[in-house]
This record gives sequence, C-alpha cells and structure tokens, in this order.
Amino acid sequence: MTKEDDFTNNIRNFSIIAHIDHGKSTIADRLLEYTGTISERDKREQVLDDMELEREKGITIKSKAVRMQYRAKNKQNYILNLIDTPGHVDFSYEVSRSLSACEGALLVVDATQGVQAQTIANVSLAFKNELKIVPIINKIDLKTSDPEKVIKELFAISELKLKTEEVILASAKENIGTCEILEAIVERIPPPEGSPDNPLKALIFDSVYNPYKGTIVYVRIVDGSVKPDTSIITMSNQKKYEVNEVGIFHPQMKSTKKLSAGEVGYIIAGFKDIKDVRVGDTITNMSNPAQNSLPGYKKVTPLVFCSIYPIDNKEYGNLKMALEKLKLNDSSLFTEPESSQALGFGFRCGFLGLLHLEIIQERLEREYDINLIATTPSVMYRITTKNNEILNVSNPSSYPSKMEIEKVEEPYVKLIIISPSKYIGGIMELLQNRRGQFKNMEYLDEKRAKLDYQIPLSEIILDFYDKLKSKSSGYASLDYEICGYMASDLQKVEIMVNHNIVDALSFIIHSDKAYSRGRKIVEKLKEIIPRQMYEVPIQATIESRIIARETIKALKKDVIAKCYGGDITRKRKLLEKQKAGKKRMKKLGKVEIPQEAFLGILKIE
Amino acid sequence: MDLGLYVHLPFCRSKCPYCDFNSYPLPEKQIIKNYMHALYKEINIYSKKYKDILLKSIYFGGGTPTVLSGFAIYNLLKYCRNHFETTNPIEITIEANPGTIDRKKIEILFQSGINRLSLGGQSFNDTILKRIGRIHSSEDIIRSYFQAREAGFCNINLDIMYALPDQSLEDLQTTLCKAVDLRPEHISIYGLTISPGTKFYLDAQKNLLNLPFEDIEFEMFQWAINYLKKNYYEHYEISNFALPEKRSVHNQIYWNNLPYLGIGAGAFSYINGYRYGNIKKPDDYIQSLSKGKLPIEQGERLSLKKKMSETIILWLRTKEGVNYEKFYQRFKIKLHPLFGRQIEELKKSKLIDEDSCSFRLSEKGIFLANKVFEEFIV
Repeated sequence: MTKEDDFTNNIRNFSIIAHIDHGKSTIADRLLEYTGTISERDKREQVLDDMELEREKGITIKSKAVRMQYRAKNKQNYILNLIDTPGHVDFSYEVSRSLSACEGALLVVDATQGVQAQTIANVSLAFKNELKIVPIINKIDLKTSDPEKVIKELFAISELKLKTEEVILASAKENIGTCEILEAIVERIPPPEGSPDNPLKALIFDSVYNPYKGTIVYVRIVDGSVKPDTSIITMSNQKKYEVNEVGIFHPQMKSTKKLSAGEVGYIIAGFKDIKDVRVGDTITNMSNPAQNSLPGYKKVTPLVFCSIYPIDNKEYGNLKMALEKLKLNDSSLFTEPESSQALGFGFRCGFLGLLHLEIIQERLEREYDINLIATTPSVMYRITTKNNEILNVSNPSSYPSKMEIEKVEEPYVKLIIISPSKYIGGIMELLQNRRGQFKNMEYLDEKRAKLDYQIPLSEIILDFYDKLKSKSSGYASLDYEICGYMASDLQKVEIMVNHNIVDALSFIIHSDKAYSRGRKIVEKLKEIIPRQMYEVPIQATIESRIIARETIKALKKDVIAKCYGGDITRKRKLLEKQKAGKKRMKKLGKVEIPQEAFLGILKIE
Repeated sequence: MDLGLYVHLPFCRSKCPYCDFNSYPLPEKQIIKNYMHALYKEINIYSKKYKDILLKSIYFGGGTPTVLSGFAIYNLLKYCRNHFETTNPIEITIEANPGTIDRKKIEILFQSGINRLSLGGQSFNDTILKRIGRIHSSEDIIRSYFQAREAGFCNINLDIMYALPDQSLEDLQTTLCKAVDLRPEHISIYGLTISPGTKFYLDAQKNLLNLPFEDIEFEMFQWAINYLKKNYYEHYEISNFALPEKRSVHNQIYWNNLPYLGIGAGAFSYINGYRYGNIKKPDDYIQSLSKGKLPIEQGERLSLKKKMSETIILWLRTKEGVNYEKFYQRFKIKLHPLFGRQIEELKKSKLIDEDSCSFRLSEKGIFLANKVFEEFIV
C-alpha cells in the first residue's frame, strides 16, 4: 500500500443539506472554527457566503468548497472537504451536482420546525446520489424545540432508514454537538473510492470568474490526478485546455502541486468562456482519457423568463455590460437582445426560477445602479402550429395567433408541500385555483401532512409562495421539480393604452382566467397611470376582441393657485419633483406610464 | 436698489383648518411686544446693511396683521418709512380679516398712510365661512368694506376662495355676484389647496371634506374668469383680477422675479440673486434678533439657469406672458435656442399662444398651467 492510498482513506467529502433557515451556514461556521480553518480574527457569520446578497437574504446562491484538517479521537488526521450548496429549489441542479461530488451529507433539521418540503427533497436527492446521510437536529437550545417529534418525522421518511441513535442533537448557536458531528463525518461517511492510478475524471460542480485568473472551475477528482502543465479536455464538448494551476480551498484558494482522486479543489486552465465549462461536466486527461464521463450531466435550461429594459434608453449599454459581467459567474443565466415597441432595447432573460430572477434583478439595480423595468415572468410554452412546426415561445410578443396554432403545451411541475394539517384545506383551495392536480396526501405525524400535486409551472412563478405562506401562517414549505409538458388551453391577452398595444404588458394565460385577469389589470392600470390632458382608454383584448375597458379621465385642472414671495422657491421645487418623477416613466405614444405599471401587474391577485 | 418690502405679522385669532402659512394663535401681549421690537431691529439692521434701498411698495401680510392694534401698525409703518427711502407715491397694502377690524381701526390704518386694503372675505355664504373656520360672517365683510370706503380707501382687494367643502357651482356664483356688486378695485380668487400639515389634509385623507369634483372645480374657475372679465376686471395673473390701473404693484414684483425684502418670522427675501427665508418660529426669530443677528434660516443662491426658469414660470402666470425682448434684456441670452422645442410642443398642445414678440398661457393653458411650467424646469 502506497502512502497515497493511505491519504485517500483519510479524506471525507460531504455537504450540508437543509431546508432554508434551518442553520446550515451556522453549522458550517462551527465546523470551520473547531478545526481551526478560520481563526478567531476572521470570524463572522456565514463565512462561506461572501456575496452581499447572500448575507442579506441569509441564503447561499453559489456553491463553495472548503478544506478542513481534523485530528479525530482515533488520533488520525483527516482531510474534510465541505461543499456548500445553494439552499433554494431554483438551484436544485447545482445541488444535485454538488452532492454527486460527495460521499456523505449532513442533513440539518430545525428542532422547532421539523421536517420541511426541502428536507424531503434533499433527502431524496442525497439518496439518489447514494450518499451516507448524517441526521442532525439543530437549535435544540430553543425553548420551543421538540427533538422527539422531529425524530418521529424523520422516521416517516422511508428513504432515510433512520436509526434513533444516529441522530445528533446540536445547537450550532451554542456550539453544542460540533465535536459529535466531526466524529460522525469521520466514522460514518465512507472515504472516496476512486484511484489515483486510473485515468483522470474530475467532476465540475461550479465555476467562478476572476478578473485576474480567468474562469476557475471547482472540481471533485473522482479518479486519477491532475497537475499544472498537463492537457485536459471537457468531455461534453471536447474542448482542450492547458492546466495553469491547481489548488485547494483553505478557505481561500491555495495552490498545490497536484489534486488526486478523492480531493476537492480548483483548476485554472485558461477557460475562456464560462459557458464552455459546464457544471456537471467531466474533465479528463488528453494523453490518457477516461472512457466514460461521470453520469448525470445535463444542460441547464432556464425555466422562467422575463424581459429586462432600462427605464432610460441611454442605459442600454450599461445594462448590456452588467449582464455580461453577471453571466461570467452564472452560466445558468440566459440573455438575448430584444426590442419592444413600448420599451425600446432590452434583453429577454431566462432564469432557473423566480428567486434567481429576483437576485439578478436586484444585483443589476444595486451593484450596477440601473433603473429597470422587468416584464411579467413567463414560462416556455411549446406550440405546434398548423403546419406541424414546433415553436418554443416564452415571450408573449412572439406568440402566434390562434388561427395558426394546432396545440399548445406548457411545463408542469411535481410539487411537494408540507404543512400543519389544519391549513391543508386552504392550501388545497389555492392549488385548485392554480390548476393544480391532486396526486397524493400523506400524514407525516398526527399534525402534519405532505401533499403531492402536479401543477403548471406558470401558476407558481408569480406570487404562489407568498400566498402559500399566508394561507398557512408561514408554516407550509414547498419544493418542486419539472415533470414535463402537457397540453393546455391558453390565450394571449394584450393591453392597449390609448389605442396602442403595449407589447410589454401582454401575457399568456389559461382561457378560464383570461377575462378576470384582463379586467383586473385594466383596473390596476387606471389607478397607476397618471391622468393626461386628454381621455385615455385602457383596454384588454384577446385576438383583437376587447374583453375589458377602463377610461382615465382627462386632467382638466392642474394649477398652483398662489405664488408670492416665499412660495416661489417652494413651488419651483414642487415642479422639479414632479419633473423628476416623470423621468422614471416610460413615454408610450403620448402617454406616460410609470414603472410601477409594469411591476404592478405582478401583484394582482 | 429698488425693492418691495414685505412685513410678516404671523398672529391670528385662530388658525383656519386649510391654512399652511406661517401663522400662530395670538400669544400674550408681551410676546407681541417682543415681536414688534424684533421687527424694528431687523429693519434697522437692513437699513444699515444696504444704504441705497428704495422701496416701491410695502405689504403687511400674515397671519392677520389687523389683530394688532391700529397704533402698533401705525408705528411700525412710520419706522419703515423713517429707515428706508420710498418712491412717491408708494403702494402700501395691509391684509385684513373682516372679523378683526372696526371703524376706528380702519381709520387709523388709513391715516397711517396705508392706501390699499386686502380683505380676506373668502365667501358670502355663512355656512361655508363656518365650515372653513373663518371667524367672520358675510355681513362682517360688507360692513368692513363700507367702513374702509368711508375711511377713504380707494383701492380695496377682496379675496375669494372656491372649490371649498360642500360648495356648489351656484354657491360660488352667488358669492362672486355679491363680490362684484361691491365693485372692489381688485379681486383674488383662489382654489382651495389641501396642504400637508393642515387639519383639512387629515380630514381629506379620512374623506370627511366633501370637496367638489374636479369637473365642478374646473367649471367654477372658468365661470369666475368669464364673469369677472364681463364685469371689466382684467385677468392679469392666474388668480388675480383688477379694474384698469389697479393691479397690485407689490405682487407684480414677485411675478416679475424682481428683488424684495421680507421682514418678520418666516418672511422670504430675494436680493442680489439670493433667495432666503427667515426663521419661522416667532420665539426663535425674536431670540436671534435680540442677539443682533439677522434671523436667516435657509437660503439659495440661484444659478443663471434657475433664474431663467423661474422668471419664465413667473412671467407665464401673468397676462403678458414671456416677452422675448424683455427676456433678452434681463439675461442677455436669447430664449428660443434654450426652449424653442418646448415652446413648439406647447403650442401644438394648445397650452400657449404665441405671437412674434411673446408667448403666454392660452385659455386652456391657464387651467393646466403646471403642465406648462414643468416644461421650463431645468
């Protein structure tokens, strides 16, 4: 047995899976402190989340890895690689890739809240990846905690094959159970299996862009080894690169001589375009390539689409640059230039989900200081035309007329909701209003139930989550995955302001809801659009047939009555303010429409 | 330096629920005394600071200047005239609330040299007067008016308000007929503005005011303009009407964006391109002057751009509008290259009328003046 084999035996690769807010990042913080990976001096909360938004929202957006050294009770030294994964359903593909880079997972459940939808979704993901699961009940220091009950709930998850003695009771906040967790990682999670002598297989689980070093890929070496100055290829697209640097995360990047089977680290190899190094892909050696790539790679496809326009057309260049910069670090963000009659030049963008969309929008406004209009989010519809062509349409403006359509299909998701049973009635009503199809219901214990539904994705991307939370006093949790396309009866509704179609306000909707939504939007626009000097009709139409109309009455009188000594400054400032407000409006034809008009549409029941 | 002098007397018998002026309920006698003393001091400081002041007008506004005794006003005016040169003749106006003057006080005011009286009548409907918190009746207005005439005033303004709670078009018509029957030289007609910080603002939010709809408000103003014109009142500023030769000298200084000096709590001055306001609270105002310090609280030096845009907006309030030659004379810049596009657009939307030497609000534009003003904000 060589020394290197020994070394592989003492590696443990794991990730932490948890429902949002169950304490994933705090547990990670404790492990890093305990193993001395971060000094007292660098201590701060959510060590691994370095994006401002991540800290603010308390969520992890990008995957990260960190290497810890741990001297176990058996007097042996171990290398523990923690791969931190995004915690939101939007990023579940990344989660699944990160998990496949591990042999084990810490499953963290909040002792006060118990098993949630994402707990179950995560367990089944971990199970699919054949990971050893270490269950941890966190926050046991809280008065309202009920570990017994949580254990019962965990028993109900059949995939877990839980043994009571395996559950670790912890409080990351109070630093209870940290040592037990570390010992469990060493004892229960198996060492990596690959061999450094096999041809190289490295799994890409994330990538980031660095302005000095170019694209850096995060990898788990499954077989073989990699060191600088060797030639490698990415197997899905057969692109060739020369390795410049390899290294580990400690927690900052630290270059090493090589990375061998079982290790987690990074590779820098002159990757030009982040799109060429896809999460889930396998890297192998040019001279001695592996026969098969690692399983599970798939191209990430955006699920939710919307158009993004700068309010001020002069900012188009800035928007373009900002999106390009964001894409450097986010290969799942899809963008395509687009122009709208109403809004000028902008981009059609595709996202993994609504959170992803919100994050991008917020970063554009915050980090790049661009005032945006984002149109109503939409999904990708599949349309079969009368001449048997198949069109993929996410943008209402390219939706064909009814005459040309043979069949429309829309994406459906499998939805899991977990909620206290007393709210189930209200939630089922909500799901029914959203065209959900009931599949199954089971009780996790006497007080909580799990619902399985099939539902059009378009019905849950708008305000579904907020509605679910309000129906369940905040207790329900959800998770979903795409399950395919199904035929649907859909229609495009167009909105006309002052007899001009405002393309950016058009939307695609199920026929049963077209009328009431058209009506509500027209009413809402009447409230939002300031009165003009003439009457402005607002109409909703389907195939040129008017289904709703409101009229904004003409502004007849707008005049400052008094203007004497002290008023002059005051009145001028008032006019200045009015004028500044106008700058945040889009002039469509003769009518000025405020930004809220485009956003307001989202908030309609 | 030619100036208009404004003197602010901030006290009122009671505060009207719509009023957002710098006014306060009548305090104890000593504070009024101190306030008058502070006014003297402020006048004194200015007379030393600027030796070349020539007053073209004096205006006592409030508050309610006439809550002061006739003699207090007499002395104050005398003090002004002793410290500043004035043109001869000079327009001297005082605002008066019909509930606060009697024959004797009016006589003293006239004898002190005041030659223009501005009566805050507001309405000839007693229910409405009560509704808007006025302390006088319609009879009080008429009595005060004739007392002023008898005392010798031959230049009287009557303030009228419209778009008041519970007011109908007919009601405004009756009020205006009564006003015109008195033949005052000048009538100001103001639409009620609901300003933040007033009682009416809170009431309006609770929907308690029963204000006339905008259509009615529009008709009221339109009717008022036509009726007053028919009765030979010249519509010379958005809210102001005068018989021939009886325009307000003092207010025209404002609408010409010419310099004025404001004395008293919260009063504004515009001197040498600098517009500034005094401390608003009478106590703080008094305190500042007791230390011999000018009570200036907030000021702004106007850039050329702002001066131009203000001047255009103010000129637009007047019948004459914006005269290209006059603009050039004041700023030594031609107007058209700056605002030609705006002028064309406004002409297209029929909000202004233009001829070869000037442009002004059109009949339609008067009602939508803010839309026009906005175009000249830079």
